Amino acid sequence: MGKVNLDTKLIISAVAMAVTASQPIFAAMPDMHGFAEFDYGAKVSDDNTKRDDFNLFEQRLQLKTNYFFEGENYLAEKRASVHFKGDFTVDEYFSGKTDFELREFNLSLTPYNNLDVKLGRQVLTWGTGDYLFVNDLFPKDYVSFFSGRDDEYLKKPSDALKMSFFPSLANVDFVISRFESNTIAEGDRLSFFDSFQGGIAGTNSDRDLLEPPSRASNLEYALRIYQSLESHELAFYYFRGFDKNPNSYKDETARQLFYPRLDVYGGSLRGPVMNGIGNVEFGYDNSREDSEGNNRLIENSKVKILSGYEKDLGNDFKVGLQYLYEQKLDYDDYKVNLLPADFVFDELRHLLTQRITKLFKNQTVNVSLFNFYSPSDKDGYVRPTVSYHITDQWKSTLGANLPWGEEDMTEFGQMKRNKNVYIRVRYSF
Amino acid sequence: MRMIRTLFLIGAFLFLGFSKICSAQEGFSAQEVIAKSRLAFFYAANDMRVKISMELINQNGHKRVRELTMLRKDYEDGGEQKYFMYFHKPADVKDTTFMVYKYPDKDDDRWLFIPAIDLVKRIAANDKFSSFVGSDFTYEDVSGRKPEEDTHHLLRKEVLNDNNCFVIESIPRGKAEYTKRISWMDENNFLPLKEEFYDKQNELYRQFEAQEVKEINGIMTITKRVMRNLKTGHRTEVVFQEVEYNSGITDDIFSERYLRKAPMEWVK
Repeated sequence: MGKVNLDTKLIISAVAMAVTASQPIFAAMPDMHGFAEFDYGAKVSDDNTKRDDFNLFEQRLQLKTNYFFEGENYLAEKRASVHFKGDFTVDEYFSGKTDFELREFNLSLTPYNNLDVKLGRQVLTWGTGDYLFVNDLFPKDYVSFFSGRDDEYLKKPSDALKMSFFPSLANVDFVISRFESNTIAEGDRLSFFDSFQGGIAGTNSDRDLLEPPSRASNLEYALRIYQSLESHELAFYYFRGFDKNPNSYKDETARQLFYPRLDVYGGSLRGPVMNGIGNVEFGYDNSREDSEGNNRLIENSKVKILSGYEKDLGNDFKVGLQYLYEQKLDYDDYKVNLLPADFVFDELRHLLTQRITKLFKNQTVNVSLFNFYSPSDKDGYVRPTVSYHITDQWKSTLGANLPWGEEDMTEFGQMKRNKNVYIRVRYSF
Repeated sequence: MRMIRTLFLIGAFLFLGFSKICSAQEGFSAQEVIAKSRLAFFYAANDMRVKISMELINQNGHKRVRELTMLRKDYEDGGEQKYFMYFHKPADVKDTTFMVYKYPDKDDDRWLFIPAIDLVKRIAANDKFSSFVGSDFTYEDVSGRKPEEDTHHLLRKEVLNDNNCFVIESIPRGKAEYTKRISWMDENNFLPLKEEFYDKQNELYRQFEAQEVKEINGIMTITKRVMRNLKTGHRTEVVFQEVEYNSGITDDIFSERYLRKAPMEWVK
């Protein structure tokens, strides 16, 4: 969870300065919206984390507001607006710890007819996958995902400058952002596979994760060029930055892991096919600090190919299927360089997903089942949810997170002791 | 006996001939009325901006509210259209945008933008009989149905709330949400003032009613309407406010750019 640290303060003051630099300042307090929420996730499997009975127990207040500049000034002329969204939380998992997470605080404007700019903290998403990301290298929070928070929290915000160009030929998005790692299981709330512990670890994990220092040479760049071809959408992607997961070793004896440099090149096509929506997306991950693939401590370069299909079967019943293929590219070099005591990761991974959604009672009841299954890793992850909009304001959700796997070191297998059943009650305003 | 039969035949002949002359005088076949009605109802002017308030009311009187601004642009009468919707209410979908490219001869293209996760989602559109945002209106009800998809018969003419109406029966040629539809079309402006939808058991199960018609920029517009589901007791009341026609909505509004950054000058 992001705390109100120095960086957050910098973002707040940067946007605040940009806002106050223009005349006039806020004319009136804009409308405030958001929600208040209660979450509880009971654990249904044992591990060695901080608590045995639950892995989610929190209250959350989200406040959000938009301000649109008006009057005769530069910002109003350029259709500028400020967006704010922040979450106050009380986390009983950490004995009632209070926190504030700034999810959005940005200034958005259109300085030229075919240019949009968004500066500040923002959530960024692109690509065609459903819970699977090939070219979306923006930060994710997998602890939220596996513990039963709303889908919104799978996406972490970035401190970024996003420029969107709209020349007639194609549309271009270009993002410059500060490195932000994925939030992954670290043993306190969720157990996971820790190679230093030789298996699934909880609070006994004592890894040291080294983030790239904040400096200009460590900024990340993400580019998307997209265009419609009649009903289909074609896109190309480029990313230059860092691996978002600490899967590479800096210093084994000091138990230090780090986020090596990573470039990703990719493309996607999405559009109607066979009375549904089909998509294909590919990505080539170039692990720049191990381009030969012979460094056993650093992630291998990879290719990822994703294809998906979603169809509406009528009566508010939808089915979606996806297939993801991943291959390490210098696997022989990786294997040759392994030491006898090393864990050996597979070269290939096949992953299938399926999403079934059915709505009832004038779309106020949503029953959904998302299933990950990897025949190569022999693992999977079942995510059933039932939600009910009791009124426009009140919504309750009952769901479960059920990862499973034969082995401890696969993506979902390592999460198998984090099974939970959760309830979420939200009042929106 | 024979004479009675002869008189009856003559009478029937005269009646048929008379009704034939009548409809010839009006100059419209049932098919034409339906086609004109579709243009008046779904294709009025070249573009339209409207703030729509929907109340979804269940049999116990519990209300849910959907409030959105809709922009529509026509590219050809009876042909291609683009829609842009921006949701104001309820709170949990506020700022969500929805865009539809509607084609006469193939499935719509639909995109949904979910601002909380900055996600543009492509929506499978093979579901014209599904409910629109949980209301009693189907996607087809809010975007129209091609006249050729049904066989139409003029049943009679009737006065409905002081309006002269064509009463037309429409039987679907292929798969449809209903087995029979009966429509009351205003003779003057072709707007549907009432529609009845019948199911497989030939029972009336949905009923549409126009409750207020106003002239806006010279165009007759249904500003209040209700759709009742008679089987569930659920109903949806819709009010059109701030209707504007031909305000020059530009083509670029209907793009991923504005889906992600709603054009506030239009949707406020």
